[in-house]
Amino acid sequence: MLFNTIEFLVFLPVVTALFYLLPQRWRWLWLLAASCFFYMWFIPQYILILAATIAIDYEAGLLMERWNDRPRWRRWCLVSSVVSTCVVLFVFKYLNFCSENLVLMAQHFGWAHPQRALNIALPIGLSFHTFQSLSYVIEVYRGNQRAERHAGYYALYVMFYPQLVTGPIERPQNLLRQLHEKKELQADNIARGMRLVLFGLFLKMVVADNIGTLVDQVYAAPQDFGRADIVLAMVLYSFQIYGDFFGYSTIALGCARMMGFTLTDNFRTPYLADSIREFWHRWHISLSTWFRDYLYIPLGGNRVKLPRWMLNTMVVFTVCGIWHGANWTFMLWGAAYGVLLIVEKLAGSKNGRWRWMHVALTFTAVTLLWTVFRAPSLGALADIYGALIHGGGNSHLNIGAPLIVALAAFIAIDVLTRRTRFDEWCGRMAAPLRWTIYALMAFAIVAFGSVEQHPFIYFQF
Amino acid sequence: MEKVQRAVDEQAEIIYLGESSDFSVADADTDRRSICRMVADELGEPRMCDMASAATHAGVFYDMMNRLPKESNIHTAVVTVNMRSFTAEWIYSKLETPLRKQQLMLKRRPALWNKAMLVFKAYPRWSEKERDRLVVKHLRRQAAPPPYANARAWDVAMADSLTTAGWPQDSVAMACHYIKCFATAMDEDNPRIRDLDRIVQLCRQRGWRLVMHILPDNEEQMSRMVGQRLVQILRDNGRYVQQRYEEMGATVVNNQGLLPDSTFTERNYPTEHYTQEGRLAVAKAIAAIMESEK
Repeated sequence: MLFNTIEFLVFLPVVTALFYLLPQRWRWLWLLAASCFFYMWFIPQYILILAATIAIDYEAGLLMERWNDRPRWRRWCLVSSVVSTCVVLFVFKYLNFCSENLVLMAQHFGWAHPQRALNIALPIGLSFHTFQSLSYVIEVYRGNQRAERHAGYYALYVMFYPQLVTGPIERPQNLLRQLHEKKELQADNIARGMRLVLFGLFLKMVVADNIGTLVDQVYAAPQDFGRADIVLAMVLYSFQIYGDFFGYSTIALGCARMMGFTLTDNFRTPYLADSIREFWHRWHISLSTWFRDYLYIPLGGNRVKLPRWMLNTMVVFTVCGIWHGANWTFMLWGAAYGVLLIVEKLAGSKNGRWRWMHVALTFTAVTLLWTVFRAPSLGALADIYGALIHGGGNSHLNIGAPLIVALAAFIAIDVLTRRTRFDEWCGRMAAPLRWTIYALMAFAIVAFGSVEQHPFIYFQF
Repeated sequence: MEKVQRAVDEQAEIIYLGESSDFSVADADTDRRSICRMVADELGEPRMCDMASAATHAGVFYDMMNRLPKESNIHTAVVTVNMRSFTAEWIYSKLETPLRKQQLMLKRRPALWNKAMLVFKAYPRWSEKERDRLVVKHLRRQAAPPPYANARAWDVAMADSLTTAGWPQDSVAMACHYIKCFATAMDEDNPRIRDLDRIVQLCRQRGWRLVMHILPDNEEQMSRMVGQRLVQILRDNGRYVQQRYEEMGATVVNNQGLLPDSTFTERNYPTEHYTQEGRLAVAKAIAAIMESEK
């Protein structure tokens, strides 16, 4: 189910109301059933994959705890669980890509290739919930989290509907603990949750989707547009993906908040970062901290010699790129970040007086790399950069006044909430001003919300 | 909405609701008048307003008619009935999504409410795979002449046998399209039948005379490619529509079998796009019955 649909506008209040109406002992079951329903709205049979990974990791958690005094068995248990989860991810996400490339390679070298390119559909949100499952087994192995004995609560930890398909990728220490707590109905939680949902819908439907319609035109035929329009489309895409993903995360936070749960913040004004390193501390925080804790630090973190650190950085960011999608463009995108981080480190410390220049430089680099991310293939990427260099097209992007106003509002709110969150910021305002903001956002969604269908960008991962 | 507004502005007395069959699509046409215009000319009726637009169907017609003001000069509604529009191939077609969006904005509700429904995607949003699955599911439920278990089995068997017989791929596809587009059994649960029922009700409420005209399909080509059995199914369905709505008091002009193969312009997909001769023949048939039942 998509957050920006009429079905969800019915689903959300029904699930929240019944959650509070039911006694505590039944709430997990209700939330689990609602989460299954939410997930099965897309393609029902894919829930079986989710069920399989849940069963494996749940059992692995219990076994690791039981074998507390047998380190080798514990390690084998962890390895089996991680491998099986990764195999599922590989089969559904990367096997097509590998088989396509093998076929292409065989054709190129003239080898006999009995293998045909596969066509396995990617279950929605697979990368997110597999990473959340991995997080659980690793934390249990490290002794930071007790194994969950109640299969239902563990299943709910993986499947909790607000963050099931696009995160934030939660740690068991945060979410699993909260799932056991009794949540009382509080007006403040409902109000803050609704504010977040409203803001998230505004970001997705007014900002991101309207930009998406414009950006799609340029990416469909870059040669038809002049340089200025291509640059504009690149910049707009930076705001589209931010609005889209930040919008989703904000709605997720809002839905959870309405039931009294607090999810991890995924963004903190990323385009105000003054370095690439800082950008990754502010963008998709739940993923970057996942890679930091489960890959970067185990590889040695920054307590290794420079050449090894450079290698580690390249590995982490290339894997981060591949995590996003099975495509050479994502790999290139991730590796490019690795290179930029290395260059940044080698260049040394920044001069604080030129902070805004660094912010502008970082934003430029991020925008250029979003183009790599957005391109459907390396060929398409060459086309757009080719058009940027050669220019020459006569078509123009037509940005309407409502979009300019909405984008300006988004940027203003993003800057104003850089040390807080929208719900808190709004909550501190006088009631008339607060209600004016609600009314304007609701009106903007209805009057200027995009009528085109733009799925959430991160759904494909 | 602009078509509704035009009918109001022109103070129309007769409204014509149709789809792409109404228009001239053949380059060779010297007479590019629409069927609506031709009917108007035949009747000598200047206040006939064309509310046709491509790919629409009875569901959209109903909402357009319902948006017209209750107080108006309209006394007659001419509604096009396309036999393909009753089948899954059309009901679950790609065009259905934009049509449903259009329909949402036509609903008699506050404009902001309609827009809210539109931005929150309160219309079917089938993916390509879902569309295919729905069409196949529908075809599996449709009875087919022996020895086929259902319309889907007929479709598959037709593809196999024609391919084996060495037919070009385009022709095999065309024959299968005919089965997908016409092999259906009509009943009152069909969404288009429900829409037509609502149109009858609306015309009664408004005191409008209702004329339905069933579009002719290319029966010659259908018979040649698939066989007479499919033509029979099509005719049976046409009779079902005619009987049902005549009993409800509408005038039904059944033009099935009216046109020869040469008056159809499309060769790669079953459509109701006619040459000028075809459109004129259809228009004359409609005008004749409207004139005789005045």
